[in-house]
Formats: sequence, C-alpha cells, structure tokens
Amino acid sequence: MDTRTFRVTGTLTALLAILGPANAAETLAPYGLNTEANAASVGLGYADNDGRRFGEYNGVNKDGVYGLFDFNLVKRDDGTGTWLGLSGRNVGLDNRQLRFEHSRQGNWGYFIEFSQIPRYEPLSITTAVGGIGTPSLTIPAAPTAGSAFDLKTRRDVLGLGFEKFISGNWDLQVRFKNEEKDGSRVFARGTTGAGPAGSFGQFEFTPEPINSTTRQLDVKVNYAGADFQVTGGYYGTMYNNRYSGINFTGGLAGLSTFTPMALPPDNQSHQLSFAGNYGFSETTRGNFKVAYARATQEDAFVTGASVPLSPGIGTNLQGRVDTTLVQAGITSRPMPKLTLLADVRYEDRNDKTPVLFYLTPAASTTDGANEPRSIRTTTGKLEASYALPNAFRLTGGIGYEEKHRNTSPVRIVSYRDTTDEMSYRVELRRMMSDTLTGALSYVHSDRDGSPWVTTTQTGGALGSNLIAPIHLADRKRDKVRLAVNWMPVDPLTLNFLVDEARDDYSSRDGSTIGPMKGKGRNYSVDAGYSFNAQWQATAWYSWNDTQADQTTCVGASAAGVCGAPTYSAKLRNVSDNFGVGLRGKPNSIFEIGADLSYSDIKDEYVQQALAGAPITSLPSVTTKLTRLNLYGKYLLQKNAGVRLDYIYDRYSTDDWTWSTWMYADGSRLRDPNQKVNFVGVSYYYKWQ
Amino acid sequence: MVSRCATVCLRIFVGLVVAIATGFSVTANSQSTDDIRDGKVCANCHTNALTVWAGKHGTKGDARAPISVGCAMCHGDPTEHLKSPANAMPSRFSKMASADKNAVCSTCHQGRTRIHWQGSAHERNDVACSSCHKIHTAHDQARDKLTQPDVCFACHKEQRAQINRPSRHPIREGMVACSDCHNPHGSVGPSMVLRDNVNDTCYSCHMEKRGPFVRTHQPVQENCAICHNPHGTTAPNLLRARQPFLCQQCHEPTSHRGNVASLTGTSTGANTMARGCLNCHTNIHGTNNPSNITNERTFRR
Repeated sequence: MDTRTFRVTGTLTALLAILGPANAAETLAPYGLNTEANAASVGLGYADNDGRRFGEYNGVNKDGVYGLFDFNLVKRDDGTGTWLGLSGRNVGLDNRQLRFEHSRQGNWGYFIEFSQIPRYEPLSITTAVGGIGTPSLTIPAAPTAGSAFDLKTRRDVLGLGFEKFISGNWDLQVRFKNEEKDGSRVFARGTTGAGPAGSFGQFEFTPEPINSTTRQLDVKVNYAGADFQVTGGYYGTMYNNRYSGINFTGGLAGLSTFTPMALPPDNQSHQLSFAGNYGFSETTRGNFKVAYARATQEDAFVTGASVPLSPGIGTNLQGRVDTTLVQAGITSRPMPKLTLLADVRYEDRNDKTPVLFYLTPAASTTDGANEPRSIRTTTGKLEASYALPNAFRLTGGIGYEEKHRNTSPVRIVSYRDTTDEMSYRVELRRMMSDTLTGALSYVHSDRDGSPWVTTTQTGGALGSNLIAPIHLADRKRDKVRLAVNWMPVDPLTLNFLVDEARDDYSSRDGSTIGPMKGKGRNYSVDAGYSFNAQWQATAWYSWNDTQADQTTCVGASAAGVCGAPTYSAKLRNVSDNFGVGLRGKPNSIFEIGADLSYSDIKDEYVQQALAGAPITSLPSVTTKLTRLNLYGKYLLQKNAGVRLDYIYDRYSTDDWTWSTWMYADGSRLRDPNQKVNFVGVSYYYKWQ
Repeated sequence: MVSRCATVCLRIFVGLVVAIATGFSVTANSQSTDDIRDGKVCANCHTNALTVWAGKHGTKGDARAPISVGCAMCHGDPTEHLKSPANAMPSRFSKMASADKNAVCSTCHQGRTRIHWQGSAHERNDVACSSCHKIHTAHDQARDKLTQPDVCFACHKEQRAQINRPSRHPIREGMVACSDCHNPHGSVGPSMVLRDNVNDTCYSCHMEKRGPFVRTHQPVQENCAICHNPHGTTAPNLLRARQPFLCQQCHEPTSHRGNVASLTGTSTGANTMARGCLNCHTNIHGTNNPSNITNERTFRR
C-alpha cells in the first residue's frame, strides 16, 4: 500500500487569499456563464493494483491512495482588461501542472508555469547491478539474483513568458523554458561471444544515469498590420549533461574495456529567423521565411585507460552544423473560381565538423575518419484548385523534393548522393453542404536518385552493395483517401474515412534483397448522436493495418555475395480499435459520463526462406488495451458537489521480447500484464 | 501606429453605425442599444450567445475586443435580422465557406504563428478556425492540452488509435499535446511541424540526440521519423518496426547483420530479444566516444 498525502488546506487558503472568492465571483458574474473557471476540486483516489502501464506517465503505478487536487481560478477586471489566472492540474499526482498568469489584454502579459513529467519504466526489473542512477555502476561478474528495482525519469519544467504590445501593431514575445531531467533508463552494453549459462551472451544491464538540463529561449518581435505581418527573432537552445560517461566496475572480462561508455554530450544552438506574410491584393498573398542557425558541440571527450586516442584529434569534436533555410510561397485567386498555390523551400544543413582520423589504422569498412552529415533539401509545390458547380472543387498539384547528402569514401551501408521525388495529387472535394461534405484524393509519387555509390573497403576491394536503404531506395507510392462527413438526420452525424497507401521499392541493380513493398490501410467510422439537450453519445471504430515486406540473407561475404538462406520477412501490424462515449444529465443535480476504449493489436513477423534451408518464423504478438472511464457528478448545492470517478485499465500481451531474457549479470526485465481498478471521490466548488 | 489607430477608429465607427442603425429598431422594439451590442437581445434566441464574453473576446478594457462593438463585429449588422429572424445575419457562420469564416477571424488574428496559414495543409483542406476552436465558450478545447488531442482526432483518426499503443508520448495524460510538435496554423516544415524540420522539433525535448557526434548514424541526423513513429507503436521506443527488421531495411547482410530473427539465438543471434541490435549497439543515436579501437564506430561505447 502506497499512501500519499498532500497539504491541501494551506494551499487552497493561500490561493483564495490571492484571488479571493469575492473577486473571483466578480470576474464573470455579469454573465454567470463561465462554468470552467473559478473552480477547485479536492479528493482521494485509490488504485487496487500495481499498474505499470496505467501509471507510466502519472505515477499511479502502485496500489494505494493518491491525492486528487485541481483548481482553476480566473479574475478579470473589465475596466482595465486585466486578467489574473492561477491553475493547477493533477496537483496531487506526479504529473502536476501549475500556472500563474497576469496580463492586461492588448498591452502586456507574463506567465510562469511549472510541470512535472514523470516516466516510470513499464517493465519490471530485477537486478543486482549497483549504483543505478549514478555514473558509476557495479556489475556482478556472474549471474546474481538481485532484487526488484524501479527505473524512472522525471522532467521538471519551468516556463516563463512575457509579452508586450508596442504601439504601431508591434509586439514583443519572450519565452523561456528550463527543463531538469533526472533518473535512469534502460540501457545496456554488450559484445560478441558466449555468456554465462542462462544468459543470451555477453550482455550486461547498465541503466543510463540521467542528470541533464535543457534550456530554450525564444524571443520574437512581431508586426501585424492589415496586409503585412512579419516576425523575427532569436531561438536558442542549450543541453547540459552532467554525466559525460558511465564507468563500470566488475562485469565480464570480455567487456572490461567497454568503460567508460560515452553519454550524450553538451550541445547548443542559436537561430536567427525572419518570416512574413504580405497581401499583394485582395486575392493574392505571399509568405516567406529565412533563417540561419548554428549548432555546436564542443563537450570534452570522455577519458580513461580504455579510451586510447588517435593523435591530433584534440580534446573535443569541435562539432558545428550551420543550417540555412529559405522559403517563399504565394497563393492567389486570379478568378473567383480558381485558386493557385506555389511554394518553394530550400534548407541547407551544412555539417562543418572537422574531419579527423579517430581510428588508426583504418578497419576494412572505415577509413577511420568521423563522418559529418550534410544534407541539402529543396522542395517545391504547385497547385491549382477550381470551383465546380454544386459546391464541388477540383484540385490538382505537383510536388518535388530533392535531397542531396554528402558521403564518405569508405562505407558499410549503401548510399547515393541524391534522391529526388515527384508527386502528383488530384482531389475532388465537396466544400459545403447542409448534410454532406467530403473529399476524395489520390497521390502518386515516384522517388529515384543518383547512381548508387559503389561501396569499397579501405584496401580498394569491392564492398557489399546489396541493399537500397529504405529512405534512399527508388520508390513508387500511391495513396488514396476518402473522407465523408454526413448528417443523415439532424441529431446524428457520421464520419467515414478510408485511407490506403502502397509502396513499391526497387532493389539495387543485380540485387534481389532489401525493402520490397509497404502498405498502410486505415478505415474509420465515427458516429455522434444527440438524444436531446441532456444526453449525447459518440462511438467510433478504426481498423489500421501496416505491412512491410523485405528480404535479406544470412552471412553475405564482405564483397556482398549472399550466403544462405535468402529469406523474406513479412511484417504486419493490424489493429481493431473502438471507443464509445456517453454524456448525460438525468436531472438538474446529476451528471454522468462514460468512455470506453479498446485496442486489439496484432504484430506478425513471418520469416520465410526464399532460397536455401527452411528457417523458423517468429510467433505473432497480440496486445490488448482496455480502458473504461466512468464519472458521476452530484450537485449538493448550486455551486458545489461531489464527483465519483471509476477507471478500469487493462493491459495484456504475449510479447516474448523479455519473457526468457537474462543478462549476463543476472538482471531480468519483464513486461507484466496488468488490471487496475481506480476509484476517485472528490468535492468540487465553484465561485460564482 | 497610424494603421493601428485607423483599425481601432474603423471598429468604433462600425460600432457606432451599428448602434445608430439598430437604434431605430431598438426604439421600435423597446430594446436598448447596449443590450443589442452586448448580445443580450441575441441571447433570447441564441442561448449560447453570451458565453463568448466570458473569454478574451468579452474584455471591455481592450478596445480591440469584439465586445466593444458587439456581436456585429463578427456577425455583421443585425438590423435586418432583428426586424425579422427570416433575414439572415450578414455573416451566418453555419452557412459560410471556410475561407469566408476565416476571413472574419483574420480581421484581428493575423501574424505571429499564423504567418504561414495561407498554403498550409489545413487551409487547403478547408479547415476553418471554428472547425477546431469553440468561440462561444469560456473553455476552448483546442487550447487545453488535455482536450486538444480530441479536437485533432476528429480528422486524424489513425493518430487517435496510435496514441493508445504501448509505446507512446504522454498525450492521454495531457502532458504532451499535438501543438507541442505541430503548428496547426502552418509552418515551413513537413507535416506542419512546429520548428523548421522534424529533427529540430524533436530536439526541443530530446536535445541529447542532436550531437553532432564523433560517430554519427546517418538517418538519425537526417530525420528521426525514418525509424520512429512519434504517435505511438507496439515496438518499444516508438520504433516503426522491431529489431532486427528495422535495421535490416538499410544495413548490408554481411557479418551478422542478415541473421534470422530468433527467440533462442545467442550472442549476435540474439537480435530480436531484449533490446535487439541495441544489445550491443547501445548508443544508436551516435556516440561521442573518440576511442581509437578497431570497429569502434558502431555505437557500442
């Protein structure tokens, strides 16, 4: 039983002292219509079971009692246009959010907000690894039973904002966010070779310690005129990791040199941008954006006896990436029925990190140098839309995207310098009708690119040249989408969606392996029915299916001659999902609501030999998630009442990912099924 | 400055014209000018009319706010409508095309994050401001992190199912909202992402993935979405596919990389159990470890 307490009375008293129920009552009293603001609720909740999935992001992951406390207080001074707001959500839980804001509408304003985003690892963990949460881990040299350990991370986010309207339609906006992230997450180290009995090899459980700060500063100066609006400003980010690496004591002899392991380095970026929108005429508008950013990474390298350094590399990467963005677009209606659109965008991510030889002598598949990644992307779009009789509209468009990437002399993965993709779109839309609206669209796109770079090894011998990586491969894609909104009778609305996409990949010349086909299908139907002003119901069903068909082979030679077998892997993720909702007010003092959602997801991994000896496929994985939310509100007096909440949350899976796994140090992770009943009772009060 | 003054003056002028014009019928119907301006007359039939004043639109201390002019600011001159309900208001939103509705809102709401509205996917697909925002309510669902996803899911059905997958962002809990990653009013990035491209959007929370690193992983630097589906997956860590299948979509089948996925494999054969390929290649987003060790470019240290 995990009992949590919180101090409500004092907090609530302090809040009321600031705002005061009398003042709050003045806020919107003239209209007496604001039912959301100036309310507070306090109560207790009880979970009857551990729910690692249920509580992953709210901390209600153990059985026990939890505090429920929410408030939203708003005051408006109509004479001056001054707003004062204070709100808190989930204050009694680990995912609490608090915000204070004060503004004079149209003049100035500021806010301060604080939130906590926890993440409790949904996998259960039994381990004997010591020092978890610190950068110094002690690893048992042989499998050790250990004890239960819960990994978690938490982000504490502090946000500040200020804005000031300046005469002449100018305004200044400043946003600052500071995020502290602490905790530890699943991580591991491993190498080839046999491990102790019962393990799967030389793999050790080494939770990553996290203790970092992320900061963002966004300053904008905006101008908003009737025909011309611009915004320009600075956006800066900073990441500071207090742990540069993990040091290990103990563990397997085969992993003794894997210390320290590097952790993410400090880095920062600075961007200047300027964007605008101009109305050339009543029917023609254009917009643009130009931006220049510089990101740097100069964190000191990890050091240690097991970190031999190549001469001349210095003490840090001197990493630097400059990104230039230019975009311009225009929309025009040269005739009442014709709308035209043109847009072009250019982005140059120029990785200027010095190229140095970190590995000497070179290995067969690398010359030892680091590999900065530059990419230049150019996209363009042209579209024409014409209004037809009966509120139909026909749209046709073409799009173009070219990506140019740098490459390295010696590679292990197939590569090409440039990919370019043309897409063609046609759509028939019925824009408006009393009872029926909808759109049917078809998009065909065709991606190809420059000749494949022939992969060679450092000695000049031919490397493996079999796979066309999925994001570089020639691809033909066809997408069809039909969306219909229909109101057959006044209180009933229906919404239908059919979405289907097919990808067809081409292999490299002379190769029969790599990504082959992809498919995505999404069918949905939604219904909403209003029985009367007091009762409404909704229901929806979605069927989603994504498939990937790919081929590879076992044990290709360094020169890329497939061994045996060559086999296909047909991957499929198919799910049935539905939801039902009901809202009702049986009488003036009673209100109820119910929401049920259910997902049944099946992942298939069918492996089949195409040449060579038969292979064993993998069993499918079925995951089912059910959640039922019920609530009832009972009015005790005009502005106060009690609320009863009930949540049933169930997660079940036959996923085998961790089911038999044991690390060489004896650590075991498991993905347990869960069934949680949560009951909450709260008292709410509204200042009216 | 001149333009702003002109705008305010124009609104006051429109208000006066409406007040004067409606004043005649007010006299005839014993309805005060103030009551018409404040919508109290409207509320006799349109029961939700007054809720609009509970929000920013109803702040009298702000000369720009619609309440300074009244319902007419968005809905047009009510004179004829007051004479007979059969005479529709000039701006009858339920019967207007999206572009016309948006033109009413953009009279005031221009610039800032809306600079790239024209030409955006939402604009081109006839999304109106009122498709997402509820004006006549004190609580706009689209501006609340907890309820905003339901607004988006009215059209984005696939994402509605995906946020319930085992690997997901804390969207259901209201800790991450769609607008934390997307600008529904338009952006220069693909899929209307909040920043200029996918990676910069992801880095706003996952800055540790930015690098650059001594050892970089090409798709990581190009686009996080090559490997991840941020809306939710059954594979862990929002991965689009389970390992080794995901990795085999790019990597040559030399050495152990073409190994058949197995529940019983050991060493390099243990490529789908536990963390899959990451059992060894643990720093998959890149590592800043400069070790001069053969083969140490594969994100293991």
